[in-house]
Amino acid sequence: MVMKMAGARAKKLLLISVVGLGIIVFLLVFSLRSYALDENDCLSCHGNQQLTKTTEDGRKISLYVSEEAVNTAAHRFIDCTTCHTAEPHKVETPLTKLSLAEKCGSCHQYQYKLHLESVHGQQLVQGNTDVATCVDCHSSERSPHSVIRVLEYSSPAYKKNIAQTCGNCHGDVRLMASYGIVEKVYESYMRSFHGKAIQLGTYEITQLDKATCANCHGTHDIKRASDPASPVAGVENLARTCEQCHPGGGVEFASGFLGHKEASPRNIPVAHYTEILFTTLLTAVLSFGAIVVVAAIVRFSINRWRE
Amino acid sequence: MAAVTESVPVTAARTAEGQIVRFDVHQVIQHAGLMVTFILLVVTGLPLKFPESAISQWWVGVWGGVEVTRSIHRVAAWAIVVVCLYHLGYLLYTILILKKPFPVRMVPSGDDVVKLFQEIAYFFGLIKEPPKWHRFNWREKFDYWAIFWGMPVMAGSGFILMYPVLVTRVLPGWVVPTALIAHSDEAMLALVWIFMVHIFFNHFSPGIFPLNKSIFTGKVSGERYRRDHPLEYEEMFPATQDKEE
Repeated sequence: MVMKMAGARAKKLLLISVVGLGIIVFLLVFSLRSYALDENDCLSCHGNQQLTKTTEDGRKISLYVSEEAVNTAAHRFIDCTTCHTAEPHKVETPLTKLSLAEKCGSCHQYQYKLHLESVHGQQLVQGNTDVATCVDCHSSERSPHSVIRVLEYSSPAYKKNIAQTCGNCHGDVRLMASYGIVEKVYESYMRSFHGKAIQLGTYEITQLDKATCANCHGTHDIKRASDPASPVAGVENLARTCEQCHPGGGVEFASGFLGHKEASPRNIPVAHYTEILFTTLLTAVLSFGAIVVVAAIVRFSINRWRE
Repeated sequence: MAAVTESVPVTAARTAEGQIVRFDVHQVIQHAGLMVTFILLVVTGLPLKFPESAISQWWVGVWGGVEVTRSIHRVAAWAIVVVCLYHLGYLLYTILILKKPFPVRMVPSGDDVVKLFQEIAYFFGLIKEPPKWHRFNWREKFDYWAIFWGMPVMAGSGFILMYPVLVTRVLPGWVVPTALIAHSDEAMLALVWIFMVHIFFNHFSPGIFPLNKSIFTGKVSGERYRRDHPLEYEEMFPATQDKEE
C-alpha cells in the first residue's frame, strides 16, 4: 500500500516536471522572440533576400525586407499595409525621401510639420536628397523597416549616439564644404566639455544629462545656425539656450563659447595665445626633464656596468 | 649666498639608529597630503583629457560615472588648496612665532644653475664627479618652487571651470575657454614632470631603488645623507666625518 502510494506520487511528480519543463521551454522559445504583425504574409515573399524587381528605366531594385529588423522595429505591430496601402503592389515606385517622410507624417503629424520647416525639411521639399529625414536619424540602417524607439540604446537618436548620427553627414568634410560649413563640428563637439562627458558616460540615461547636438540646435525643427530663429543664432539666443542647463548663465557666459571653432587670433584670442604659451612651456620643460632623465639613466647604467 | 647659508645654524639631529632627521612631522604631512590629493586629481582628471579612449571610459565607469569622478576631483582640489595653505601657514608660524630663520637654503641661486650644468655634464660623461649639493639639490628646489606657479594656475583655472556661471558675472566670458586650456596643459606638465623626473630621481636612482622612505619617515640614513647632501653633511658633522667610514 505504502509502495503503491509512493509510486503514484513519483508518477505525479514526473508528470508535473515534464509539463513544467515543457512550459518553460515553450516560454523560452516563444517569449524571447517577438514577431512583426504580418497579416497578409508579405514576408513569405519579401523575406527572401533574392527578391528584386526591374524598374521601367532598367534598374534592379531589392524588394527584400529583413524579417529580423521588422520583428524588433517600433512599428512591428502595425501591419505592412498600413504604410504600403491596401494594394501594395499598385504603389508607385520608386519611393523618394520626401514620400517616405510624408508617409511617416501621416501619423506623426506634429514632427512632420516641424521637419518641413527645418533646414533639412526645406531642402527635402526642393528635392535635395543629401539632407536627413525621418529614417536617417531613427534607424541605424536608414530604413523605415528598422525604425526603433529613441530610448533604445541602439537607436541613432538615443542621446549617447546623437553626435555620431549627426556626424555621419556633418563629419563629412567634403559634403559640408559644399554647403559652406567649414567648422569641424563633430570633432570640436567631442573636444568640448559636453562631448567629453557624453563619451565618458555609460548608456544609462542618468549619465547622459549633457548637452549634445540636438539640445542646442533643435531636433525636428533644426535650423541653420545663422538663421535668426535658431536657438544658437547670435549671443543672445545662445545665452538663452545655455541657460536651460546653466541657470543665470547670461550673455557673458555664452560669449565664452568657442562655437565649434578652435581658438584663434580672431576667435577668443586670449585662449589662443594662452594655448601657445602653455604648449611652449610644456614642451620646453618636459623636453628638458626627458633629456636629464635619459642622460641620468645612461650615466647610472654605465657606472653600474663599470663596477 | 654662501654668507647667508653660513648664518643659518645647521641642525643635526640623529636618531638611535644613526639616521638623520631631514623633515619634521609637518613637512611629512604636507608631502603626504600633496601626494594623495595629486594622485586623486590625476586619476579623476586624466580621463577628461582622453575621453575617446576605451580605457578612460572603462575607468570612469569603475568609479561610477563622470558625476562621481567630478565630485572626487572637486573635493581633492579643495583639499590640495588646504594643504598648500597649511604649508604657507606653517612657514609663517615657524618664522614669525617660533622665530626660526627664514629657510634660505630652499632659495635658488646662481650656484644651483652652475651645478645643474655640472650635473648634466656629469651625466653626459664630460666631467668625472657629480656636483656636491647642500640641503636641497636643483630638482628639489624646482619641485618645490614649481608648486608656487602650478598651484595658482591650477586652482585659479579650476575655480573658473567649477563655477563658470558665477565667474562670468564678474569676469569676461573668454576666461572659461582660456582656463580650460591652462588647466589641461598645466596638469599634463605637472603630471609628466612628477612621474618622469620626480619619481625617477627619488625612487629609481642608484642606492635608492625601490622606495625612498625619507619623505614619509622624515629620516635619512647617515650614509645616504653624506652622498646626496655632502655639503650640508660636512657642516652638520665636521668632526665625526672620519668616524663615519
